[in-house]
Amino acid sequence: MSTARTAPAAGPGPGRSGRPAQPGEPGEPAESGEPAEATVAATGLTVRYRRATALDGIRLRLGDGVHGLLGPNGAGKTSLIRVLATVASPTSGEIRLLGSRVTARGAEGHRARTAVRRRLGYLPQQFGYYPGFTVREFVSYVAWLKEMPGSAAADAVERAVERVGLADRIDAKVRTLSGGMVRRVGIAQAVVNDPRVLLLDEPTAGLDPEQRVQLRELLRELGRDTTVLLSTHLVEDVAAACTGVTVLDGGRVAYQGTPRELAEAGEAADGGSAADGGSAGGSAAAVAGDSPIERGYSAVLRAHRSGARPHTAGGADSPDDRAGSAR
Amino acid sequence: MIRLRTVRQDRLGRQDRLGRQGPQGRPAAGACDAHVGPELAAAYARSAGTQSAGTQSAGTQPAGTVGGTAGAPAGDAPSEAQCWSVERHVEHCTACAERVSAAVRATGAAPALARLREDVLARAAAERADPEPYSNGVAGTASSDPARSADPAPVRRLPGPGGRFARRRARIVWAAGPALRGPWLVSLVLLAAAVVCAARLTGNAAAQPLVLLVAPVLPPAGVALCYGRYADPLHEIAASTPAGGLRLLLVRTAAVLAVTVPMLALAGALLPAGSGMPGLVPVAAWLLPGLALTLGTLALGSFVGCRYAAAAIGSVWLLSVCSAARGLSARELAGALTHFLAGPAAQCGWAVAAATGAAVIVLRRTSYDFQESF
Repeated sequence: MSTARTAPAAGPGPGRSGRPAQPGEPGEPAESGEPAEATVAATGLTVRYRRATALDGIRLRLGDGVHGLLGPNGAGKTSLIRVLATVASPTSGEIRLLGSRVTARGAEGHRARTAVRRRLGYLPQQFGYYPGFTVREFVSYVAWLKEMPGSAAADAVERAVERVGLADRIDAKVRTLSGGMVRRVGIAQAVVNDPRVLLLDEPTAGLDPEQRVQLRELLRELGRDTTVLLSTHLVEDVAAACTGVTVLDGGRVAYQGTPRELAEAGEAADGGSAADGGSAGGSAAAVAGDSPIERGYSAVLRAHRSGARPHTAGGADSPDDRAGSAR
Repeated sequence: MIRLRTVRQDRLGRQDRLGRQGPQGRPAAGACDAHVGPELAAAYARSAGTQSAGTQSAGTQPAGTVGGTAGAPAGDAPSEAQCWSVERHVEHCTACAERVSAAVRATGAAPALARLREDVLARAAAERADPEPYSNGVAGTASSDPARSADPAPVRRLPGPGGRFARRRARIVWAAGPALRGPWLVSLVLLAAAVVCAARLTGNAAAQPLVLLVAPVLPPAGVALCYGRYADPLHEIAASTPAGGLRLLLVRTAAVLAVTVPMLALAGALLPAGSGMPGLVPVAAWLLPGLALTLGTLALGSFVGCRYAAAAIGSVWLLSVCSAARGLSARELAGALTHFLAGPAAQCGWAVAAATGAAVIVLRRTSYDFQESF
C-alpha cells in the first residue's frame, strides 16, 4: 500500500525539533539530559498486578509521528497506554512526558501531571458516558475537565467533532449512536484540546472499513506535530497509518522499527523458512500472515518467544532499547 | 492553549494552501527563492493589471503562454506558475515586494488599486468601530485579550436566553456531573418524600430521631456513588485530565452536599415533632457530624478509595448508633441523639473531627491522582 511509504515522509522524523515554543503553556520543568524531541520517554517501566506482570522493564522513546503498538492479547498494550496517560501509576520505572517527570512522587509529580494532562489526549479502550449527554455536551464536558478556557472550548468542540466526521450528529444523544460512532466521539474528546501527546487504545475497534480509512487520514494529519501512540490488533492499521511500530509481547518490547522494516523482517523470515522447510505447501513451519507486515509481525513474535535478542531496526535508540527490553 | 490552536491552524492552513497549489506550483518551486527581476516584475504587473481590469481571465491566460520560462522576455506575460512563484516570494522579501508594487503602480491598474485600498481601509475602520458582526471569526485569534475573547461565541452555541448565564449554568451542571444526574438524586428525593409522608400520616414520633440518625451517612454515600471508576462512567477519561483527582472529587462532593443538606434539613423540619427534641436540633444537629463523616470519607478514600471508605465509615456509624439505640424508646433515643450530636462538647468534637479530615485531605492531596490504585 502506497500510504505506508508516504507516511514516513509526511510525518516528521525523530530529529525534528523545530516546533515553536509556546510561552502561554503551563510550566514544563525543563530537564536536561533528555533530547527535546522525545515527547514520551519511559525507562524501566514495570507494572504488576497482584500476581501477573503486565509490563516488565519497558524502555520506550517516542517523538512526533504516529506510532503503532502491536501485540497479542495480554501483551501489556493497555497497561502501557494507561500508565502513559497518567491514569495508573507504574509499580516501578520512570515516565517523562513532554520533559516532565510525571511519575515523580509528591508535589513535584502532581504539578508535572497536571501540566502534562492539559496537553494530553487519551482514548480508553472502554469508556462510558452520561446517558443524557449529547455529543456536544460530552466533548464539552471533557474540554471542561481539560481546563480549556470557555471561549475557546465551544469552537474547539465543534472542530473536534467535525474532524471525526460527526458534525451532522453533534446534537444527537450519545446513547442513540452506533458503536463506531461512539468510538469516534471518544476520539473527538481525545483531540479536543489539540493534544501534544495523543494516546489511543484500540481506536479502530468497531469502525467500518471506510471509517478506518478516514481515521488513518486523521492520524497522519495529527502525527505531523503530535506524538500519537495507538494500540491495535490490526496489523494493517499500522502498515497504513504509522511511522513507527513497537511490538509488545509478554510485557516486553519484542520489536521496534518502522512498518517497512517489520515487513522486511517478514520477508527475511519467509526466505529463511523456505530454505529450511522446502515447499510453500508445507509452510506450517513458516511464519503465518497474508501480507509481508503480518508475516513480519509473526516472525518477530516467534523470534522473541524463542528467546532470541529482540529485533530492533536501525534507529538512534536501538542499542538502548535492546538493553532495556532484555532487562 | 489558544495560542497552540492558532499556531496549528495557521500551519495547517498554510499546508492546505500549498497542497492546492499542487500541480502548477510544484514545477516552479525552485524559483520561489529567486528574487524577482525588473522584467519579471513588469510582466507580472502587466498580467495583474489586465486581470484586475477584467480584460483577461486568469483561467485563459496560461494556455497561451505555457512556454514562458524564468527568463521570459519583457513582452510575454508570465506563466501561472511564475505568478505563483512571484506571489510566494514577495510574501517574505520586502525589496521584491516594493519592486513589484512600483511596477504595478506604473500600469493602468493604479487608479483601480487606489480605490480598492481606500475601500479596504474604510471597511477596516468600520469594523474596528463595531467589532460585533465579525467577532465569531476573530475569537480564535484574539487570545491575548480575554475580555474580548470571553464574549462572543456562546450566544450562538447555547440555545436559550442569556448565553452567558446559560453557559455558567451548564458549567455548574457539568461540574456536578453524575451527582445531579444519576439515580442517586432520584432515590434520595423519593426516600425523603416517602419518609416524610409516612411519618406525617402515622404521626410517628420516632421518625424524627431515626432520620437524624441516618442523615450523616447520606453525603458520604452520595460521594461514593458519584466519583470513582466504579461509579462514574467517565472516570477513565476524567482521570487523564488536569481536573481529575482531588479537584473533581471536591467539586462532586460540594454538589452532593448542596443537594443533600437542604433536602434533609427540609425533611427534618417537615417531620412531626413530639419526640421532645428542642427547636433546630432535628434540622441542623446532623450538619457538623455529616460534614465530619464526609471529610473522613474523602480522607480515608485517599488510602483505599472512596467506595471502600464510604462503606467503612457508613457501616461503622450505622452499627454503632444502632447498637446504642437498641431498646430505647423514641423519647430516650431523641434525648441521646440530642446529646450526642448537638451538645456543645459533641459539636466541638465533631468540628475537630472535620478539621482532622480536612488536614489529612490536604496532606494527601497528591495521592488522588491515581484513583486507579483504589
